[in-house]
Amino acid sequence: MESIVLHDLTLGYDRHPAVHHLNATIAAGSLTAVVGPNGAGKSTLLKGIMGTLPPLTGRIVRDRARIAYLPQQAEIDSSFPIAVHELVAMGLWARIGPFGRVTATLRDLIDSALAAVGLTGFEQRSIAALSGGQMQRVLFARLLLQDAQVILLDEPFTAIDARTAADLLAIVRRWHGEGRTVVAVLHDMETVRAQFPETMIVARELIAHGPTDLTLTAANLLRARQMCESFDDTSPVCHAPVKRAAA
Amino acid sequence: MNRRIFLALTTALAALPHFALAQDRLTVVTSFSVLNDMVKQVGGDRIDVATLVDADEDAHMYQPTPADARSLLDADVVVVNGLAFEGWIDRLIEASGFAGSVIVAADGIKALDMPETSGHEGHDHGAFDPHAWQSLANARTYVVNIEKGLSASDPDGAEVYAANAAAYLAQIDQAETELQDLLAEVPQDRRTVVTSHDAFGYLGDAYGLTFLAPQGLSTESEASAADVATLITQIRAEDIVAVFLENVTDSRLVEQIAAETGAQVGGTLYSDALSGPDGPAATYLEMMRHNVATLAATLKP
Amino acid sequence: MIDLLITPFTDFAFMRRALLGCIAISIGATPIGVFLMLRRMSLTGDAMAHAILPGAAVGFLVSGLSLGAMTIGGLIAGMAVALLSGFVTRVTALKEDASMAAFYLISLAAGVLIVSMRGSSVDLLHVLFGTVLALNDDALTLLCAITTITWFALAVLFRPLVLECADPQFLRSVSRLSAVTHFAFLALVVMNLVAGFQALGTLMSVGLMILPAAAARFWVQGVGPLIGVAIVVAILSSITGLLLSYHYALPSGPAIILVAGMFYAASLILGRQGSLLTRYLPRPHLHS
Repeated sequence: MESIVLHDLTLGYDRHPAVHHLNATIAAGSLTAVVGPNGAGKSTLLKGIMGTLPPLTGRIVRDRARIAYLPQQAEIDSSFPIAVHELVAMGLWARIGPFGRVTATLRDLIDSALAAVGLTGFEQRSIAALSGGQMQRVLFARLLLQDAQVILLDEPFTAIDARTAADLLAIVRRWHGEGRTVVAVLHDMETVRAQFPETMIVARELIAHGPTDLTLTAANLLRARQMCESFDDTSPVCHAPVKRAAA
Repeated sequence: MNRRIFLALTTALAALPHFALAQDRLTVVTSFSVLNDMVKQVGGDRIDVATLVDADEDAHMYQPTPADARSLLDADVVVVNGLAFEGWIDRLIEASGFAGSVIVAADGIKALDMPETSGHEGHDHGAFDPHAWQSLANARTYVVNIEKGLSASDPDGAEVYAANAAAYLAQIDQAETELQDLLAEVPQDRRTVVTSHDAFGYLGDAYGLTFLAPQGLSTESEASAADVATLITQIRAEDIVAVFLENVTDSRLVEQIAAETGAQVGGTLYSDALSGPDGPAATYLEMMRHNVATLAATLKP
Repeated sequence: MIDLLITPFTDFAFMRRALLGCIAISIGATPIGVFLMLRRMSLTGDAMAHAILPGAAVGFLVSGLSLGAMTIGGLIAGMAVALLSGFVTRVTALKEDASMAAFYLISLAAGVLIVSMRGSSVDLLHVLFGTVLALNDDALTLLCAITTITWFALAVLFRPLVLECADPQFLRSVSRLSAVTHFAFLALVVMNLVAGFQALGTLMSVGLMILPAAAARFWVQGVGPLIGVAIVVAILSSITGLLLSYHYALPSGPAIILVAGMFYAASLILGRQGSLLTRYLPRPHLHS
């Protein structure tokens, strides 16, 4: 299984970089938290790794086929008339594609995924009837079924209650135990210190990256906060040489 | 001193075009192609005539364009059918600011009532059947009205108009004899015919034919299943032999009726518009001859 | 009773054909309507009725008042508008409603221009749009063919289509079928609409696509049940409308659509979920 390698990566919108000349390697099987101030480019970074946002310059090396992604704001139409088990079953796409049958074995997998997130008995419920926390659990169940090697989570615990967060963190730990690479954007420093061995501090540029207790220092966090939050339309064009990575 | 000369010259120059225009032909706009032809016959070289609804176009459904408003504004005379045939014309005249005179061609004819069939959806129409030109007798009245109207707008040309009208009336008389002869060979029990919409009331009245239609007086109305069923039953009951298509409506409904009853599709009749110049009904009289000849040919045993 | 309900159909071939045409469109177009409604694209039908004008106009220029030419032209224009607006929605910042509105307006203007340049003012669309009572063999064949194609396509694309509607972001992340599904769906919409226009006219075509779907929303959940109920409503509306047109001399297209409208109104007021009744007269709540 490969690590994720970011080579001099610049990602942005409308010529303004949200992530600027970032170089980093996320080791395979690591459990990494990505932290930084608002507007630091953390979500953008995940989108870049996922492949939904093409780089302005630089490149990303990863195995695209085995990545699962939980966006910060799921664009799910919650008024769409499907049941919980149907939404979760979408996670089986890689296995059964557009036409495959959901066999009894797969149905069992769906049931156990729902059990793992604490939603047994919710199979037939319409997604419109779910609370925020319940929806997040359903999305985690879907992630479980995707059986991906790399899992990207964008602010997975914002706006859900503590008990749900604890349950979902257990699943994250399980993934880590299974050797999957997990990268999560988080705001809660306590959770980061308690649960995440690696941390990356991003403030448009890479501030620090490494083991959490060494990286998450007051000095680093201060540097990160000094990043200017707004885009400057009068910035000159960036002519920094594109660093070629060692082959 | 210079100023006064300048002013006088300018005024004189401004007046010149008025004199020039007075020698020009009378500009006439007609509402649809049948009137267009008639007005041409009566007006001859003394007029410039154009029409709003052209050959093969449907006057019931017509939507006037800004260009139409322009041409109305430039016109001296407008000729309309009347009898609420052109539901859109009054608003167009008002909107265009037309200040000339209006000739109503159907003025003074004895109008037939709207037929019973499915006429209740006649949205813009009055209580009468507007297709009065389908009878040659009425056509004479049309010609007389047109002649009177043109003479009123252009008194200098009154003699020319009178002469043209007389010649045209003679042609109409001639056509009348022909048509009577054509239809003489059609026996009484074969004088019922089906068309798309109720456009031929006057023709039927003039020559003893009965016209039935699923769609009412206006092509914009939609047929009901009851109408179609009644028509089919009637066709079967009375052994009606022929159905006829029209040049301005969708023929599919009539074709369906023909298919279901075994009636023959007899050809195309021209109801609300002339055909193009290469077609069989390029002028009013040609249209009448074509219609009656087509009817006669199919209905003769 | 038999006289009331069955005789009109046994006595008259045009009634049988009308019924067959209605059933074909109920089965073929209604599922499409359900998806349109779920994707909030219910006004597409009307937009499409205008969008096909330049295609029909070019067909008219080429072959005169030939229904075949105008229908094919209309299909091409409709497809162009649908696919272009779908492409713009996926690739730019504009959303589906604005991109479709933009293209259909451009298309309509182009169509009016083409017709006016020809110098004649034939109401092309009026000629092109048919009536349910005049379904000849060609029109019936067209309707049945489109229905078959639609069901086949829906069977194949059902899962991606549901995903594309419910969670397009996710579909894009796991599959490359997202674009194909989106465009195939738009193509089905255009086909059903244009065939419907030509055979039955705009009112019936769009009406039977949207009204039954809207009514079904108040009774069932789940895409499958929605489609089922919508088809039943569409067929019942067709039969009732045709019978009303027969017994009371009402114009057929409007009669069918008004019956469908009454089903919708009744559902809106009395439906099992999300209706006025459930809102203002809710049933007592269950134990926790």
